[in-house]
Amino acid sequence: MPQTTIYAAPRTREQTPPPAVATNELARLFGRSAALAGISLQVDAGATVALLGPNGAGKTTLLRILATSLRPSFGSALVHGVDVTLRPDLVRRHVAYLSHATGLYDDLTAAENLRFAAAMRGLPDARAAVDRALAAVDLAADAARRVHGFSAGMRHRLALGRLLLGSPSLILLDEPHATLDADGMALVDELISGWKASGVTVLVASHQAERVTRLADGFARLDGGLLLEAGGQGVTALKPSPLGWPSVVGA
Amino acid sequence: MSALRADAAVALQIARKDALSELRGRQIAGSTLFFATLVLLLFGFALGPDPRRLADAAPGLLWLAIVFGSLLIVARLHQLETEDGALEELARYPIERHAIYLGKLLAGLAAVIVLGGVLLPVVAVLYAIPVVAAWPALAATLLLGAIGLAAVGTFYAGVTVRMQAREVMLPLLMLPVVAPLLLAAVKATTAALGGNPLGDLAAWLQLLVVFDAVMIAAGAATYGHLLEE
Repeated sequence: MPQTTIYAAPRTREQTPPPAVATNELARLFGRSAALAGISLQVDAGATVALLGPNGAGKTTLLRILATSLRPSFGSALVHGVDVTLRPDLVRRHVAYLSHATGLYDDLTAAENLRFAAAMRGLPDARAAVDRALAAVDLAADAARRVHGFSAGMRHRLALGRLLLGSPSLILLDEPHATLDADGMALVDELISGWKASGVTVLVASHQAERVTRLADGFARLDGGLLLEAGGQGVTALKPSPLGWPSVVGA
Repeated sequence: MSALRADAAVALQIARKDALSELRGRQIAGSTLFFATLVLLLFGFALGPDPRRLADAAPGLLWLAIVFGSLLIVARLHQLETEDGALEELARYPIERHAIYLGKLLAGLAAVIVLGGVLLPVVAVLYAIPVVAAWPALAATLLLGAIGLAAVGTFYAGVTVRMQAREVMLPLLMLPVVAPLLLAAVKATTAALGGNPLGDLAAWLQLLVVFDAVMIAAGAATYGHLLEE
């Protein structure tokens, strides 16, 4: 585990490029409860960062906001300097997200699902990209099978293959090792290492702290919607969450 | 122009995906056609055996069956997207929100046209009305009515897709809005069957065109907000 750092000053304007992720007092409420309670976090471009914390810590909420699936209630989140609320269309071009739900269509085959995703991403040579992605997640032999008959692990691997379409510069992984067997987990590790080597920024939310911190440059620990600490390289906790939020909002 | 072409390509891909899912899964066609035909049969029983009464009521009954069937169609097309988070995934792609709306609308339109195309001969047989002679006017009415139903239905299916009681809320929201369409489509069908292609028919078809244009514009402009959480 890398050494924990104290809260640090934000980057200065002269330092370029902009961080891959920069949040400022980012908060998201669901009713009266705060899933995120004012997180100020910076992730450098090209860094691989593990998001750690128990269930309900706010990891998924943070990833969903960065993926433009969820609007912040307060504060801001920038991806490569672009505000996710003001220009979600620009952010979507650079972000790929693996969520708990696979987002697959049961009545389409594995290849058709990926071809549809490639078309939605506007890839010019979709067929070749899809073939490569299926091979990379070890599903080439099942390309023509309908997803309806897939196991949970196969669906998960196909969703992982979807991340390989296009060239996202920020990849968000929410429990990427879940539902996978040992080979599948090794595949996830291999993919993360590959993205890391090619300079893609990766945020991995996981309960498997030991496994993901081994792969990551740095880590951020969340609990109860608060950013508790950030450590290692490529990630900085900019300032503490505003005091009292969880107790006030959740009261 | 290239942006428009890109949006059209996205919409067609979404519609194609929905059509492919339906052709494989057959989750809409069977149940909707059966339900709509059943509605026509039950209306027939309720009105009694008087052939003239049945023929007079036929345009209204046809369009009621199409409206009820289209409720099932648009609901099912959006249900496809809610299974395993597909709608959220679709919304995360770098595509225009109105292209998603138009894609779902096209898929719904194709299904409503098929529904109308099947129900028209069923009505002709059950209620003994001559549809063959009036087919061009009936086809135009069916097309314009289907566009309006798909436009409104796609929007309200998007509104209700995350609701717990969506099966109840969708008809509650959609039916009042399609009332002008129902009126115009029934009047146009009556005029077409009555051999009046240049009189009332043209006026009702114009009303349908306006209704369709307004609903498509409103749906395309606002559908994106429904995808945000």
